[in-house]
Amino acid sequence: MSENPYQPIDSEIIDIIDESPTIKTFVVVTNGPFKFETGQFVELTLPGEGEAPFTPSSSPNDTEKMEISIMNAGRVTNLLHKCGKGQKVGIRGPFGNGYPIEDFVGKDVYIVGGGVGLAPIRSLFLTLVERAKDFKSIVCRYGARTPEDFIYKKTLHGKWQKIDGVDIKLTVDKANGDWKGNVGVVTTILKGDDVNIKNAVAVVCGPPIMMKFATLKLLEFGFADEQIYLSMEKNMSCGFGKCGHCMIGKYYVCKDGPVFTYDQIKKYPKIWD
Amino acid sequence: METVFTTDLKPLLDAVSQQMELYIPKKSGEFYVFIKYDPASGQTIEFNNIRACTPLKDFLFPVRELAAVFPEAAEAEEVKPFAVFGLKDCDLRALDVLDKVFIEKDFRDPFYVKRRENMFIIASDCFEPAGSCFCNVMDGKPFADKGFDLNISQVEGGFIVEIGSEKGDEFVKKHSNIFKNLPENALDERKKNRTETKKQLAEQNAEMKFDCPVREIFDSSEDSEVYDIEAKTCVECQACTRICPTCHCFYLYDTKQKDYFSKMKMWDSCMRQAYAAVAGGANPNKILGDRIKHRLMHKFVYFLDRYGINMCVGCGRCVDAEAGEVDIREIMKKLYQELKDRDSKLTKVSK
Ligand SMILES: Cc1cc2nc3c(=O)[nH]c(=O)nc-3n(C[C@H](O)[C@H](O)[C@H](O)COP(=O)(O)OP(=O)(O)OC[C@H]3O[C@@H](n4cnc5c(N)ncnc54)[C@H](O)[C@@H]3O)c2cc1C
Ligand code: SF4
Ligand code: FES
Repeated sequence: MSENPYQPIDSEIIDIIDESPTIKTFVVVTNGPFKFETGQFVELTLPGEGEAPFTPSSSPNDTEKMEISIMNAGRVTNLLHKCGKGQKVGIRGPFGNGYPIEDFVGKDVYIVGGGVGLAPIRSLFLTLVERAKDFKSIVCRYGARTPEDFIYKKTLHGKWQKIDGVDIKLTVDKANGDWKGNVGVVTTILKGDDVNIKNAVAVVCGPPIMMKFATLKLLEFGFADEQIYLSMEKNMSCGFGKCGHCMIGKYYVCKDGPVFTYDQIKKYPKIWD
Repeated sequence: METVFTTDLKPLLDAVSQQMELYIPKKSGEFYVFIKYDPASGQTIEFNNIRACTPLKDFLFPVRELAAVFPEAAEAEEVKPFAVFGLKDCDLRALDVLDKVFIEKDFRDPFYVKRRENMFIIASDCFEPAGSCFCNVMDGKPFADKGFDLNISQVEGGFIVEIGSEKGDEFVKKHSNIFKNLPENALDERKKNRTETKKQLAEQNAEMKFDCPVREIFDSSEDSEVYDIEAKTCVECQACTRICPTCHCFYLYDTKQKDYFSKMKMWDSCMRQAYAAVAGGANPNKILGDRIKHRLMHKFVYFLDRYGINMCVGCGRCVDAEAGEVDIREIMKKLYQELKDRDSKLTKVSK
């Protein structure tokens, strides 16, 4: 961490990829190498306008550049969506704890995601497949509102499906065009025998309501509270456990999370709100 | 600890103010605030019997400050040594809380640290606690025995000056002409005064004698309706969080200047409705009662669990400042009653 934790690192958007009607991926280079662990997040500043937390969606092993997939959801993200290549931005971080990959070794990794929640999950996925042999299997269940709303479409429908040891199923809330896959929320494609629950971990990331119902479903299947890893999204400002905005009980999501096991946070009120 | 004596505070404060900027208490209406001391102005020196209403955090963590300038990082602002006279034990315990937050093993807020290192603390004993003071309930005392550079206790004919740090010791040695030896009985008198004030606090807070830790009262209040009921008397002025010496929430915002960008750091309040709201509309504390609950759970449970000390020092400032009628002591009493009622029901059932 730099001496002044409030000081952003000068960075630049070098490329922008349209992913879906509401999501773009921004390719960012920082002034000097930038290291993070998968699941950690950064605070991205649009100079003079504002700052927001995002989880890089690229693999941490790519230290040249970082990709950040951003949904147009409010003031700052809307302004970001209007930016072009060459835009100067600031990066603070990385913050938080990331996914405990080593604890996943030798197990089935059951990944459940929805919407822009696929962004952190993409980074995790890329990290896992780089050493796919270390895991029993990588099973992904993703949902989107409509087929257009899927991000990383090309790899999601293509390359990723063909990786050995990887099993991906997709669903949409509402079908259109030539969608032939499942229709229904993501919990409708979760099955009790997707993975060997006795030797598995589940990773859930997406909108709060999806996280809630996915967690309930996993518990119903027999997952233990400690086997479910949740990426919690809370209002954030500082990123290092001081400003108070992101608290869940005694935890600061920015510092102790954003990844928690369900066991850690279940006793606190309103975790899904 | 070593003690000396002075019959008059003016030479002492003048000597301090020759070395650094000094803030002293001044009565304003019913309460004291801190103002800058100017020895030449003939300002009267007041001895505050109770804590000032200005929270100490004002000096270390200002309402708004420049946190970063970019693209070219700016030279950090220079902080000159300064002193505050008239701080109380509750202020110093609040300082412990802020220190825990802003100076951790793996994190140092550079702005806080700089001011903290440059602060000279002259504490003093309380002897007429405000009606709202309940420090005794929160393990506090009306006098400090650590955490200061100098501590002043008023006694017959003058002031006992206790040295609490190397900085304080240096000061006393350098200005030995100001100080005399302690008169006989002075320490006995101080002890008597202190006991008297403690007794007064115990009396005025007799209704807050709990037979369990305060933490337990709040930790068991998850389903209580008290918060929603109290919320009806809250006008959301946020004064409680502004004046509280331990509240330290802030937010960062960005501004555009002529030839640079800046990131500002500004106090925030968890009582603000959008405080925890995220894009898409989710907000765990949309309801006012839930925000009050979160604030008190943070004070009495979460902070304690994390840092091992209470985040409320019982200074009573929020009770006085409140534009509405929310009273942290009343909430505590009501929740305690609920806890007792539940306990007695349980014992009845088990019998
Ligand atoms: C750890 C973490 C990782 C995230 N990763 C991604 C990601 O990879 N891609 C993505 O599209 N989104 C991500 N988000 C959500 C993203 O941060 C919000 O969409 C964004 O902050 C909205 O800002 P805004 O100014 O556009 O919205 P507005 O609603 O206009 O924001 C107003 C204020 O609320 C705060 N705020 C609003 N929503 C959120 C939120 N969800 N989380 C934290 N603060 C918020 C903002 O900081 C701002 O102060 C992540 C959030 C967190 C906490
Ligand atoms: S909560 Fe109230 S009584 Fe407790 S420290 Fe803060 S202002 Fe003082
Ligand atoms: S974002 Fe500031 S405490 Fe978590």
